Formats: sequence, C-alpha cells, structure tokens
Amino acid sequence: MKVLGYAALILLLVPLQVVLVDRISLFDIRPDLALVAVCLIGLYRGEMDALLAGIAMGFAQDLFSGGGQWSNLCLKPIIGLIAGLASRNLVNLTWLFAFGLILCLSVLSGTVMYLLKAYTGPGASFFLAARGIILPQACYDALVGLALFKLLQRGRASRTPQSALSYE
Amino acid sequence: MISLQSIAGGKRAVLLLLVFLAVALLLLPESRQESLMVIGRPMAAVIAVPLRVMEAANQKIDTTVNRYLALQQWREENRALRQHIAHLQEENARLRETAVAATRLHDLLELQEQLPYPTVAAQVIGRDPTNWYRSLVINKGRKNGLAADMGVVTPAGAVGRIVKAYDRFAIVLLLNDLNNAVTGLVQRTRDEGIVEGTEKGLAQIKYLPLLSTVKVGDQVVTSGLAGGFPRGLPIGTITKIERREAELFLSAEIAPDADFTKIEEVLVITAPRESAQLPANPFSFQPAAPVKPAGEPR
Repeated sequence: MKVLGYAALILLLVPLQVVLVDRISLFDIRPDLALVAVCLIGLYRGEMDALLAGIAMGFAQDLFSGGGQWSNLCLKPIIGLIAGLASRNLVNLTWLFAFGLILCLSVLSGTVMYLLKAYTGPGASFFLAARGIILPQACYDALVGLALFKLLQRGRASRTPQSALSYE
Repeated sequence: MISLQSIAGGKRAVLLLLVFLAVALLLLPESRQESLMVIGRPMAAVIAVPLRVMEAANQKIDTTVNRYLALQQWREENRALRQHIAHLQEENARLRETAVAATRLHDLLELQEQLPYPTVAAQVIGRDPTNWYRSLVINKGRKNGLAADMGVVTPAGAVGRIVKAYDRFAIVLLLNDLNNAVTGLVQRTRDEGIVEGTEKGLAQIKYLPLLSTVKVGDQVVTSGLAGGFPRGLPIGTITKIERREAELFLSAEIAPDADFTKIEEVLVITAPRESAQLPANPFSFQPAAPVKPAGEPR
C-alpha cells in the first residue's frame, strides 16, 4: 500500500512539476515540488522512505530535465536522508523547524547543483546563481513546504482521536 | 338588524330628520335641484384640494408600482442579459484564443511548407522541472522520427536542439541555456562563431575574428556546419559587442528572435542536410517566384 502511495506520488508529482508548476512561477522561479515532497517524507516517514522516494523522484525529474547529468538522482535521496535524520531525535515537529529545514536543504541542493554544473560545463558566477536561482527557489520551496506541512498537520489532527492523555 | 330603540331620544329625532331630508332631496324635481349647487360648488372646490392631492398621490403610487413591476421585469431581463454577456465573453475569449492559435499554426504550416527539408510539428507540453536548465518538453518523440541533436525552429527562428528523445516526447534545450552551443554566422560579415546561452537568458556569439567588422544590429543565423540546423535560420540580432584586451576573439551578445517564454508549437528539423539549399528568406512567408524555363526571353 505504501509502495503504491509513493508510486502514485511520483507519477503525479513529476508531470505536475513539468506541466503545471510553470503557472505558479514567480520571476521565472519555480518551486521544486520533488525536493519539498522528499523533505516532508523524511520528516514524517523517516530517512529510509525519503531516500527511496528521493531516488525515484530524482530519476524521474532528470528524465524530463534538459541537463545531461543525473544530478537530481544523486541529490534528492541525500536531501531525503538528511531530512529523515534531522527528524529522528525530534520531540515536537513544528512549522518553524519544517520551514527552516526545507529552506536550508533547498539552499544546499542549489549550491551542490551549481557546483556540479560549474564542474561539468560553462558555469555562471556563484553570486548571480545564488541571487537568481538558489535563494529565491529556497524561499519558494520553504513556503510551499510550509503550506503542505500545515495541510498535512491539519489532516493528521482530524484523523487522530483526542484522548485525555493528548497534551497538544 | 339596526334597532332605533337603542339610540337616545334627541339623536333619534335628528337622525330621522336627516333621513327625511335625504329622501326629500331625492324626490325634489330636477329644476329645483340646481339650488343645491349653490352650496355644492364651494364644497366641491374645497374637496377638490385633497382630491388633487390624492390624485397626485395615486399617480405617484401608480408610477411607483409600475416602476417596481418594470424593475422586476428589468431585473429578470438584466440577469438574463448578464448571463448572455458572460456567455458571449466566454465565447469571445475562446474564439480569440482559436484565432490566435490559428494564426500561429498557419505561420508554422507556412514555414513547414517553405522549409526545404523534412520537419515534424510538435506542441510544447512542459518546461524544465528544475530552475537550472532552460528546456522544453514537446509531445513528439522517437516514434515520430525525432532523435537527439535535431534542430528545433519556430516561425521566428531557431529555438534550440533536442537533447533527449523518448518514445512519445522529447526534451529541447533552448538556445539561451548556458549548456547549449550552436554554430552561428553573422549574416552581413559572414563571420562564424559559436552561439551559447548567457546567465541573463539571452545568447552570445563567441570566437568571432578579432578584426571582424561586426556591429550592433547585425543578424546572426545558423551556419549549418554542425548540429541539427541547416544554414541560414535566424537566431537573433546583435545587441552588444565585447572587445576585451589580450583576447584573440570577439564575442557579441544576441537578443534571440524567438521569445522563448511564449513558445507553444515548434517544428523539429529531422534531416537538415537532405535538401541542398534554403530558399532566400523562408521566414518572410512570401511565395517564391515562378521559375522560368531556360532560353525564355526576359
């Protein structure tokens, strides 16, 4: 069932990213839905699920990308692994933590992506890349992640019965 | 039954008197009734004042009621007309969109007919999933005869080349991507160079000879030496020339002719070298002049 759920997520998410996310682009910057999804899987389901989902999503993303390298295939599982490990010893998952984590991981992903591009081909200046892509995308990713996090929390809260022991 | 017994004595007498007078007036001959008008006229004049007021009020009420009824009717009519307008606007928008699409497709078809090599028309269905590459996803792939490195054009000019081809779709790397490189030619000076994307989303032609007389406004076209493009497809116009000291070559910034953000349909050139020459200007859509047979007097 879980595998089916992840398969459905990958099958939906990548076409959504390719076809529809352009409609919500701001200043030609689009959020990376796969990165956000992998981070949230890491936070809610742990590092192993996030790693596997990252591999599948990164691979699917690279299939549709104009880039020659399999950079997303390498990056997305690592992002998922970090998100999973970060949530491991967490007592209380707050929106601030999720927001900060997605922001940091998006910056990390962007920086590694820049380095990979610069290493394998003609690279733009890091300052331009940071100002034009890395930071705006990280902010956008974090905002999208926050919105999804809130939705997920609301969904979970409505499913979880309140007992006398619940203190939240 | 009205019983006169219940009315007090004095009042009863007055009442009977009045009834008697009324009957008497009724029985009075018509000629004598004129005398009553002496009292009647001033009384009528007095009554006329409230009568006129009431008549005016009645008119007002009548007008208001009529207006209200008309308003109700107009409201219904208004609602129906608004619905009709909304429907027409929707239809208008749809027709405009169809007209724009028809113009676009007409231009594409004309280009396809005028290009002397086989092409496949494709629709843009998506953009790059990352912000790191400038690419398009088109709805035709290997099953339609597409392969990597084939050139992609629109009526405005060259837009990119296919980098990945799958069975039913393909990825087109745009000319303004940093990783793309196409051989270009300055049309006026015939200087050749490499056209690459820039960080700003424009393109640049590199490795032009240092002594080139290239200037701003010159048109850059594909050179046809390598890649999937034949010679002569428009790429863009030179907007800035960079001459750096101690460099052996010139480079120039190009404003691409095609607007990469608004591409909806493209033509993929499947065999750029099958046909010998490109017509004089395939992008002007002018019909070619009929060829006269040799020996015919001019």
